[in-house]
Amino acid sequence: MEQSVDIKAINERIKEESSFVDLLTMEMNKVIVGQKHLVEGLLIGLLSDGHILLEGVPGLAKTLAINTLATIVDAKFSRIQFTPDLLPADLLGTMIYSQKKEEFIVKQGPIFTNFVLADEINRAPAKVQSALLEAMQERQVTIGETTYPLDEPFLVMATQNPIEQEGTYPLPEAQVDRFMLKLVLDYPKKDEEQMIIRHNLAKTFPKASTILKPEDIIRARQVVKDVYMDEKIEKYIVDITFATRYPEQYGLEKFKDMISYGASPRASISLSMASKAYAFIKRRGYVIPEDVRAICHDVLRHRIGLSYEAEANNITSEEIISEILNQVEVP
Amino acid sequence: MNRIKKHISRVLVSFLILLPGVVHNASAQNVSVSAEMDSTVIFIGGQIDLKLQLSQPDNMELNFPLLTDTITKNIEIVRASQIDTLNKENGRYLIEQSLRITSFDSGLHYIPPIVFEEASQKLGKAIQTEPMALMVVNPFDEVDPQKGIVDIKQPMQAPFHLSELYKYLPWVLGIILLAGIVTFIILRYFGKEVPVKIFAKPAPVIPPHVKALEALDKIKQEKLWQHNRIKEYYSGVSDTLRHYIEERFEIRAMEQTTDEIMDSFKGIDFRDGKSIDNLRQILITSDLVKFAKHEPLPDENDLSMINAFFFVNQTKLEEIKSLEEEKEAMLNKENEVLNVSNSSER
Repeated sequence: MEQSVDIKAINERIKEESSFVDLLTMEMNKVIVGQKHLVEGLLIGLLSDGHILLEGVPGLAKTLAINTLATIVDAKFSRIQFTPDLLPADLLGTMIYSQKKEEFIVKQGPIFTNFVLADEINRAPAKVQSALLEAMQERQVTIGETTYPLDEPFLVMATQNPIEQEGTYPLPEAQVDRFMLKLVLDYPKKDEEQMIIRHNLAKTFPKASTILKPEDIIRARQVVKDVYMDEKIEKYIVDITFATRYPEQYGLEKFKDMISYGASPRASISLSMASKAYAFIKRRGYVIPEDVRAICHDVLRHRIGLSYEAEANNITSEEIISEILNQVEVP
Repeated sequence: MNRIKKHISRVLVSFLILLPGVVHNASAQNVSVSAEMDSTVIFIGGQIDLKLQLSQPDNMELNFPLLTDTITKNIEIVRASQIDTLNKENGRYLIEQSLRITSFDSGLHYIPPIVFEEASQKLGKAIQTEPMALMVVNPFDEVDPQKGIVDIKQPMQAPFHLSELYKYLPWVLGIILLAGIVTFIILRYFGKEVPVKIFAKPAPVIPPHVKALEALDKIKQEKLWQHNRIKEYYSGVSDTLRHYIEERFEIRAMEQTTDEIMDSFKGIDFRDGKSIDNLRQILITSDLVKFAKHEPLPDENDLSMINAFFFVNQTKLEEIKSLEEEKEAMLNKENEVLNVSNSSER
């Protein structure tokens, strides 16, 4: 009976704490037309302390989205264009000699911010990618002999262009795994695009208002962690992850030779964290299978390695995930 | 045709010249030898027998000449028979050896006398057969290079008849039977089900609603929620309904969430509109119990079970009896009525 009361209390608390979600979404929608999936993904990343890899052609409001989020949360924002000649110091910062002070002083790089848009991350060489991904994981940067913690909340949204793959440095599997979500953006719908034209032609472009402080996000993150996840849901998540590794055990023998490697334990962690965040957005104090299924594609699509056979047969990770969801028993 | 006639006339001339040699004897001190051919004319590649005979007193030991491959360069020995004694009378032996000969060169071939060397040495004079001639005829047209080179004639196709395969039938049947036995043994060895039931009767098909009602009854009998096993109770009820939905409506309910199941029912007409509301109530309450530690009131638990029974009963597929089954049922009923009336009259 006591447990039941706890869930009720969590539910009540979440209803209170998640009230900003509607406001935040409203403000985002004022500026961003359509792209609901992107906005929802940004929120999940923000609330579950995960980073986002974004794939989509140029001009789909990626920069505008994260910039607007920074405005709404009253947070700092940096946009870094990754190029082949970028150096880790350009990103993290370096020590420069001050003639005035006659000593080396630290010049912090653009990574010292709340929200980072790493544009076209696959255009920079591996050493720069590693520097960014290390900072994402460790939440700190070492310059010289001093280690500097990064600001909280810290959210990296990296973009990859699915076209123009020439002269790029594709992210290695281990690095890709560090992104909690991989969102795939599509073109807006007809009516949405019409609205975008109107916004751009109007004299006053809609602007988002600041309604939150970074501390609110940090507090919300704590509440998200308290969202109740039953043992059955945990087993469901583990089953989904295992099905990517051993599809034959779940009646998916046809994918045995299609998957070169399955999702890592980090995928299970990300699935559970993102499910909790999704439940929070839906203003629920507990996770249901619907939450897991809603974020499953975004969490797993970059974590399943496809074999040559899969590529030859035009099998995508999206199809594999959909089949897994259709095959794994819902608790 | 003219060519063949010409060949035959040439053969006749040769025959007249060599007639004394075709069947002849060479005798000395009571030892005589002879050589005889079945025919003096053959087609190219044809085969005839050349018989060598030796007549000698029984107190002598004489060997036949050793002929292996050829008699002349144009006449080949295909095979030589064993030396055989044909007659043994009046103190004499008649011994014979048969040689199967052939030739692949057309024309008139001279066969020189075949010398019995051992007999010649022992008797001090030549013991040999008379010379012979063999005419080899080429029945084919001469190749005329002026006419141009033509391809070799293809082998003639013999017409196919099904009876040709009869001899293979026992083998084919045997192989099929053997393959069947091997497959059966392998399947049994690996514990797999044999796809063809030869001896076993097919299991009776239990309708999904019967299975569901039995399962719900069992859950009810176990009194799970009364023993504070609420999660098990709701898991059992929702799983039973999901299995029922899968079999009855062919919706993959076991792999679907509550919302997805409810979406799948869109467009399906139920006899009673309440059925879908009942299902929604059960699945939502089950989700709350399973994932949110919700503890419903005892009335709610009972209501969920009643709703589950109601949903199954309202959506079950009625069995459609065949005409014969209905006739039989009616006859049985009439008989029963007659029996009752007869017994009451008595």
